[in-house]
Amino acid sequence: MAHEVELQTAGNMWKVLVKPGDQVQAGDTLFIMEVMKMEVPHEAPAAGTVSAVNVAEGEEGLEAGFVAVVID
Amino acid sequence: MLEVIKPGLETSIQDWPGRYGYLNCGYPWSGPMDSWSFRLANVLVGNAPGDAALECQFIGPTLKFQRNTIIALTGADMQAKLDGEPVPLWQSIAVNAGQTLAMGSARLGARGYLAIAGGIRNEVFFGSRATFNKGGLGGMEGHALKAGQVVPVGEGQGRAGLKVKEAARPVIVTDKRWQVEVVAGPNDDWIDAAGHERFLATDWKLSSKSDRGGFRLEGPEWTFTERAYHKLPEHGSDPANIVDHGYPVGAINLAGQTPIILVSDGPSGGGFINPYTVPQCAFWKLGQSKPGEVYRFQVISVTEAQQRARDMAARCTPDSLE
Amino acid sequence: MIYEQPRFLPGGDRFLTIEFGDELNLELNFRAQGLAKLIAEHQVKGIVEAAPFFATILIHYDPDLISFEDLKREMAALIGTLTTLDDVELDSRLIYFPAVYLDPWSAEAIDQYIEKINPNKKRDPEFVAELNGLEDAAQMVRVHSGTEYWVAALGFWPGTPFMMPLDPRCRLFAPKYNPPRTFTYKGTIGMGGGSTAIYPVDGPGGYQIFARTPVPIWDMSQKMEPFREAPHLLRPTDRLKFVHCSLEEFEAIERKCAEGTYQINAVGYQKISLKRYRAWAESLDRTARF
Repeated sequence: MAHEVELQTAGNMWKVLVKPGDQVQAGDTLFIMEVMKMEVPHEAPAAGTVSAVNVAEGEEGLEAGFVAVVID
Repeated sequence: MLEVIKPGLETSIQDWPGRYGYLNCGYPWSGPMDSWSFRLANVLVGNAPGDAALECQFIGPTLKFQRNTIIALTGADMQAKLDGEPVPLWQSIAVNAGQTLAMGSARLGARGYLAIAGGIRNEVFFGSRATFNKGGLGGMEGHALKAGQVVPVGEGQGRAGLKVKEAARPVIVTDKRWQVEVVAGPNDDWIDAAGHERFLATDWKLSSKSDRGGFRLEGPEWTFTERAYHKLPEHGSDPANIVDHGYPVGAINLAGQTPIILVSDGPSGGGFINPYTVPQCAFWKLGQSKPGEVYRFQVISVTEAQQRARDMAARCTPDSLE
Repeated sequence: MIYEQPRFLPGGDRFLTIEFGDELNLELNFRAQGLAKLIAEHQVKGIVEAAPFFATILIHYDPDLISFEDLKREMAALIGTLTTLDDVELDSRLIYFPAVYLDPWSAEAIDQYIEKINPNKKRDPEFVAELNGLEDAAQMVRVHSGTEYWVAALGFWPGTPFMMPLDPRCRLFAPKYNPPRTFTYKGTIGMGGGSTAIYPVDGPGGYQIFARTPVPIWDMSQKMEPFREAPHLLRPTDRLKFVHCSLEEFEAIERKCAEGTYQINAVGYQKISLKRYRAWAESLDRTARF
């Protein structure tokens, strides 16, 4: 069952820590956003393989709700 | 009364108009950035417009109510759910003891407001309940909400089922472009004619390195008049440097070549010029804008700005309810 | 320059800035402080608060109680009564601040900046010495620490002083960092333009830095007596004197401040007179240096 990891907030993409093909455990940090000079880490909701990464480091002006990472 | 299950990104207690009277000691006003939505939330639950309520920024909190009360949500839609059921904005809602309000991400807009009948009753500091989070004063133990805290709330006279008339609500832009009013000054005579023209013709982009202390803007370079270059050394060597002076709240502070709008928790003085000032009537737009969105500035007079603030205050009353 | 007529400038819908001049001059600050005092005494209707700075005053007013035009008129009238400044004597506390000059913490912040932000930055003490025609960092230390500093204003951060040297032989100038540092230790002493400041908390900053004091100017715990009424220590009209101490003394004082047992050395019986100050300052050879 695929898990879509959505952006929790508007803001910038500060760090992307995974690429397609990576194996992740539940709780692993996938990427970190930046808004209001604060870091907002996003964790994997379940274990699996990263099948899509739709964001890049340095991207600005992202919207909340955008599907950033898909884990199969 | 209000148990903090999840604190959200930075959720804080604010009151309106914030902490007046201590600017000469360097204490910022704080207060809500979108006072239009804030005041209407209070009016919906039967509070005075300025009573203490919560400002939620980008990611909202999860809160559990320990007694029956009336609440209202205004401002950005943070997809709030009460025990799993969606909660509409701009209405007063009855909440029962034991219910949990879970707020998520702001979709349209950036800041949501939650008012509770009776008003929040945290400790007053220097005459206000407003939070200066970075400074560690006001709010809950000096800061934004933390998980595990219980926020005290007064006894109120709210009534469920009241709604703010559509025409009385702020309209958050959907095309990422804001027209923001400015008043020229105090230091507009430091910028040359080309600089003024450029400022008003530019789509200034809001940087994500923006928070309640300052809203950083990205755009073209500023150009200056003679005054900026021929000045005594005590001003400093950058054309935008001036002998340290007071910063009006809302000043567009030119830090070198970077304009930073000084907002609710911003510094009260420093050594850079302020060519323009955002008046109080436009603060709500700053409060609801997201990084990457764009400001186009329009000059209005002092009197016009004052009238718009008055109009907004007139809207933030029970006359706007149905 | 001291303006013949003060300039009245709007700041949005609720602020008026009055400029008395555009230089670092005690006379100008006396005007700003004098006007602030008159506003408080007269309880001018519609004025919410007034914040004096070096040569200006920022007034916050309520447009529902007074219009911008009426406010300007009232302020012009009050300013007219300030002509007898010469006879004014202000109470002025003197506070001794132990400080380590050329301290390791400023050196560390400078190291970090050179490594991460600008490898070409000249180290602050030597840079300030060079810019001001001084022999070396040691002379810069003698000159900077050789004067009382006048607290002309509080601002930027709660309780943070904007200060100017009272002894004209100790005037120094330096540009601010561009871009600013991302880190400075709390208690760091530095200067930008012609003014000296103390950093109240850890944080970013743009002043040239070269000393550090263990005595807090901002303390939310309010354990020490001078902090009883407010978490900030200083007020405009205070004078500060930096007194050299060793690293060991610094650490001992820092511990005592944290415990709340340090006795802040504040002297409270003196007054400052603009007339007497001017006479003394004018009697000095302004080109002389310590």
